[in-house]
Amino acid sequence: MNDHGNEAVTRARKQAAAQGRAQGLETGWTVFSYLLAGMAAYGGIGWLIGRAVHVPLLFPVGMLVGLGISIGYIIHRFGRQQAVERPRKEITGDR
Amino acid sequence: MTGDVGVLASNGCHIFNGCGFPAPGLQDFNWKPFFTIGSFGFSKPMLLAILAVLVVIVFFWAAFWKPKMVPRGVQNLGEIAILAVRDQILRPSLGRRGDSYLPFLVSLFFFIYIMNVMELIPIFQFPVTSRIGFVWPMVFIVYFLYLYLGVKHQGAWGYLRNMIPPGVPWPIYIILVPVELLRFFVFQPFTLGVRLFGNMFAGHLLLTIFTIASWYLLSLSVGLLYAAGSFALAIFVFLLETLVTLLQAFIFTTLTATYIASSVEPAH
Repeated sequence: MNDHGNEAVTRARKQAAAQGRAQGLETGWTVFSYLLAGMAAYGGIGWLIGRAVHVPLLFPVGMLVGLGISIGYIIHRFGRQQAVERPRKEITGDR
Repeated sequence: MTGDVGVLASNGCHIFNGCGFPAPGLQDFNWKPFFTIGSFGFSKPMLLAILAVLVVIVFFWAAFWKPKMVPRGVQNLGEIAILAVRDQILRPSLGRRGDSYLPFLVSLFFFIYIMNVMELIPIFQFPVTSRIGFVWPMVFIVYFLYLYLGVKHQGAWGYLRNMIPPGVPWPIYIILVPVELLRFFVFQPFTLGVRLFGNMFAGHLLLTIFTIASWYLLSLSVGLLYAAGSFALAIFVFLLETLVTLLQAFIFTTLTATYIASSVEPAH
């Protein structure tokens, strides 16, 4: 491969690495937000219902249910990351 | 460092002197105002934030007020800075079509970086972003843009609908709605701001602890050994912070770029 070819390959590799870094950052913090949001949403719902029916245990139960829902959703959404990300690349075009 | 070092020095407060270690804490993040106008007090972090703005404006003004075809001097540095943000932050998330957001991302990156790096510059020695009041306005600006672009490009209903990927059965939709809404409107902006604030806050506290401890442990006894150890750690934390200041600005700006990308082009 000539110098221009090597340069292009190096540039493409660097771009791919930067792209991977950005996606990794986004995914990592989104996953973290989901875990917190699931626990807070269903913990809150559990707390409200527990307050109404005088069963305080519903608060921690709600948090655990929320955590379970979040984990399930994270696996569903990010377990098939490649398939999800492909359309965005096609829309964006050249990077 | 904050005023504690000065107090220690003037009081000659050292180990084995019967003087307790004045541990740094929240008081090191509260500054007495230089002056007050009514209930408004103008303090050191505000001055540093204004300085950061001026540094960014003056630097890019100096670099590009008379751009040459062959860049030299400050223009060279300015171009390197802009290309670094473009190639490492903007393009990986938004591609070439996102180049219109480059001025915003460059300004954001360097504003945050200069505010962070104030921690390591003698005399200033305080990261502005360790006061969370300086972080929330940036988070609000980013989030407002994120929402505005999302609604503009996908429509209000489409934007809300795209939060949950297609192919999810409708009963699951109902289960996911509270999680998604809370994640989107509360925890995502919260983590964006708290990460920057927390890292700078912790870094400054560590640096303060080891610097004050180095002075406090200094004595003509075994304390000298402790002081040397503490000083070595202070140097280590200082070097670590040179990386953290850059990294936090990078993470904040990269996440901003990915948020803009997800508003402009839904990923699902």
